[in-house]
Amino acid sequence: MQIRPILAALRRHKAGTILIALQIALTLAIVCNALFIVHERLDRVRRTTGMNEANVVAVQNLYVGSPGTYLPLMKTDLQALRSMPGVEDAYVTNSFPLRRGGWSTTAQRTADGGKDGVQSALYFGDEHALATLGAKLVAGRNFTSSEIASFTRDQQPAPPQVIVTKALADKMFPDGNALGKTIYYIKGRPSTIIGIVEKLTVPWIDTDFIDNVTIMPLLFDSSYQHFILRTKPGQQDAVFKSVANTLYGVNRMRVLPEKNGVRTFEMVRAAAYDADRGMALLMSIVCGVLLAITAAGIVGLSSFWVGQRRKQIGVRRALGARKSDILSYFMTENFLIALAGVVVGVILALGMNQWMLTQFEMQRLSFTYVLVGVVVLLGLGQAAVFAPALRASRVSPVEATRSV
Amino acid sequence: MLKMTHLAKVYRTEVVETYALRDFNIDVKEGEFVAVTGPSGSGKTTFLTIAGLLETFTGGHYHLDGVEVSQLDDNARSRIRNEKIGFIFQAFNLIPDLNVFDNVEVPLRYRGMKAAERKQRIMDALERVGLASRAKHYPAELSGGQQQRVAIARALAGSPRLLLADEPTGNLDTQMARGVMELLEEIHREGATIVMVTHDPELAARAQRNVHVIDGQVVDLAEEPRFHSHAHTAHS
Ligand SMILES: Nc1ncnc2c1ncn2[C@@H]1O[C@H](COP(=O)(O)OP(=O)(O)O)[C@@H](O)[C@H]1O
Ligand SMILES: [Mg+2]
Repeated sequence: MQIRPILAALRRHKAGTILIALQIALTLAIVCNALFIVHERLDRVRRTTGMNEANVVAVQNLYVGSPGTYLPLMKTDLQALRSMPGVEDAYVTNSFPLRRGGWSTTAQRTADGGKDGVQSALYFGDEHALATLGAKLVAGRNFTSSEIASFTRDQQPAPPQVIVTKALADKMFPDGNALGKTIYYIKGRPSTIIGIVEKLTVPWIDTDFIDNVTIMPLLFDSSYQHFILRTKPGQQDAVFKSVANTLYGVNRMRVLPEKNGVRTFEMVRAAAYDADRGMALLMSIVCGVLLAITAAGIVGLSSFWVGQRRKQIGVRRALGARKSDILSYFMTENFLIALAGVVVGVILALGMNQWMLTQFEMQRLSFTYVLVGVVVLLGLGQAAVFAPALRASRVSPVEATRSV
Repeated sequence: MLKMTHLAKVYRTEVVETYALRDFNIDVKEGEFVAVTGPSGSGKTTFLTIAGLLETFTGGHYHLDGVEVSQLDDNARSRIRNEKIGFIFQAFNLIPDLNVFDNVEVPLRYRGMKAAERKQRIMDALERVGLASRAKHYPAELSGGQQQRVAIARALAGSPRLLLADEPTGNLDTQMARGVMELLEEIHREGATIVMVTHDPELAARAQRNVHVIDGQVVDLAEEPRFHSHAHTAHS
């Protein structure tokens, strides 16, 4: 190859060379990090909840009036919902996966508390909860109807039995065998783990205890509730449309919020990850635009250089360069500039990631992304320079004899 | 070495056809030093570009070293330019981004020569033209005469058998022109075939043979004396 003379010639075109190399470096740094963010966000979006998400409808319900206790209303509603023709099962709860609001507390192994707790989300529900969610019990048993109790705002949720996720069980009891063990959510109030579900996620999408969930056999005696319904296959839309009327038919003293009052689980999921998908889209657009601008910059400068060097291209052809020699001259020249650019770019990318690491909740940039970025930019450079280089290779050798 | 018969070159634009060469016949023997003269626009440069395989022609035949060149593809033509032909242009045509050493190296690289041999040949060629000490200089730092000597070194480095020069002294003062001419004569004495286009009758007279071109054709000066005076007035 003719690397040394190409570098020698580039030394005489410092401004353009440095400009393009820097542009490539910056693009690489931003594109690596942006793609990494896209990947992170899409990974989150793709996370499963441990539920069987198909055929699930969630209803937000606010009872109006002050009846003293809401338990009879809740029970009547549940009865009505369970007897809807398209409904397979239903239960009432304070929260559910992807709701983005709910309860959490610290689970302890000892009665007196201490500092060794594990954070867990709390879902309240009856013996229908697991079936409705489609959560899979991997050890122990479900609640029985006689175990279902209730509590009010003034009380603390500490039932004698709980079902926990495997993730929580493993964190609480790393040596295994959590089933039957005692666990404390409230100081001095023991709960026994009677069942373990394979997986169920917390209501929030950005916690570090995403899989730590406790299901308590409780009805929360409160005006604000969520009814979760599992419909028969193919009946989701029908239930989605009729459930509000069914509830209003039972009792008009309630409000189902205009917006989000009744949602299919697809809608819940879409709303939960709206921001993530938005961010992924934005970052993809940023990448696309930056790559396009860089490609345009390379095409522009290369075209300018080809135009500027028509005479010397002709001279080179006259002195024996083949078309392919001229083509490879410009391709190699671009490759060398791009190489310098990506070297600087990799350093910038890692620096930028380091900075974001400290500023935002972001993970360390995986080296794969840097590598992908390097390959993409070198490829982009070669693709962008190809047309101008091809034009250069077509400059006739007779150009050498034409006066300037 | 170089033989053209009934050669024609037509430049076509949308409006006009220019016959730059028509029924052009020339036969340059191996080892000859031929000067090509003629008024401006008569087709001398066109002849040289076709002779040097820089351009194709419209009709007739051209045999270079026994090979009919119209049969050759672009790569084969590049190869012949690289190995057999040395060019010297009126405007020197050094590559401004490269220093003297790198300029002389250009054709050798296209030949795929090893670095050690390239270096040897470059230094020998620069020695010949008396510019070995300027190897690291850029063209812009040299006088016109020095630049043309670098161009000659570049043409010589590949040991071409045919040297084509288009008004090599056209941009030089008399002193420098004489130096360049002496160099060409020396190269000729060592066996190269030289075809040189020139306006300068004094230089032309130093060649073994003169070929006069008028209106794209070679004319015999002895038979057509009236062209003689015409040619002179054209240059004065
Ligand atoms: N690329 C071209 N396109 C059109 N006409 C050309 C071209 N090159 C040369 N000519 C014409 O061909 C004729 C011969 O030109 P040239 O060979 O340059 O003459 P000389 O070198 O003897 O001055 C001129 O009439 C010139 O205008
Ligand atoms: Mg001319």
